[in-house]
Amino acid sequence: MRLGLTPAFLVKIVSSVVLIPARSVHKSELVKMKLLTHNMLTSKSMKGVTVGYPLGINVVDIKVTEVDFNPEFISRIIPKLDWSVLWKAADTIGQLDDLPKELSQEYENDNDFLKKVHHVLLEVDIVNGELVCPETGRKFPINNGIPNMLLNEDEV
Amino acid sequence: MHLQTAEYDLSSHADVYEPSEDSFLFLDALEEEFGNLVDLKPLNIVEIGSGSGVIITSLAKALKNANFFAVDINMSACKATQMTGELNATAIQPLCMDLLGQFKENMFDVIVFNPPYVVTDSEELCGNGINRAWAGGKDGREIIDKLLPKIPNILSCKGIFYLLLLKENKPKEVIDFMFTLGFAHKIIKERKLLGEYLYIVKFNK
Repeated sequence: MRLGLTPAFLVKIVSSVVLIPARSVHKSELVKMKLLTHNMLTSKSMKGVTVGYPLGINVVDIKVTEVDFNPEFISRIIPKLDWSVLWKAADTIGQLDDLPKELSQEYENDNDFLKKVHHVLLEVDIVNGELVCPETGRKFPINNGIPNMLLNEDEV
Repeated sequence: MHLQTAEYDLSSHADVYEPSEDSFLFLDALEEEFGNLVDLKPLNIVEIGSGSGVIITSLAKALKNANFFAVDINMSACKATQMTGELNATAIQPLCMDLLGQFKENMFDVIVFNPPYVVTDSEELCGNGINRAWAGGKDGREIIDKLLPKIPNILSCKGIFYLLLLKENKPKEVIDFMFTLGFAHKIIKERKLLGEYLYIVKFNK
């Protein structure tokens, strides 16, 4: 039921509250913006933008959290990545460690390497900052880990 | 496999659509599909219009080793999704975005969309508030029709698209259009709920 057509329904939906007992232990914290996400975003849907990739990153603050390491999972993500974009992003936010600039051939069996990729992809979070369209300079703010990619009507 | 419904608390998000019968029908359909989803080994899964985040979070609780993304045009909904993810100790990446316009092509193996399907005046499709959770414009199809032609560029080649439709949305037209894009369909669930006849349709190549 989502008939928001009548005012009565509207009031009901807007005012209803679901009370859930608070959990005493939280295993995780609010998810912020991952470099994996940055690797997947473009601004090419903007008017006048041809490639719009990669987006620039301006960081206000980042957070590092420990995430369980699964080498098989990381090996599956790597072919979907633009490696040079990930490397540059990690460099930009000072989390490069000694991640190699070139992707090694047999990374599936290189646990140390996969662990570094895991760290950069899933453990480093951008909390506040902005993403920047490389062609127009349009800034997309990231507040508390949520990038705001909405465009104005005159931008599409 | 039982798909456990994620916990949620919208007490600080009054302007976010509260999970309702349509959301739970969607969860029932995904539960039925769970075996297929495991077999697919999806890497990137996205929900469009995640609202409270209850659907994507329930999926994230059950499916391991995948990246979960949630977009909504309403920033308050993005925050609610982020909180629901936290409440259930799952990692969901929220983004405030109109459909999936700013993602690189063919990144997603699964798309889940419980669209704004209510038949309304086209004028109601304005702003980024809670009205965007249900206002569907003509035939309740205006937002759905904006997304459909882009599906081939969003889904990976093995990808699956799950869509909720209302009888008034003329599901056959949607199915026929997706067929012209090369997609087969299967109706996973259909149910009459409080005067609404709803379908959950699966599309894949």
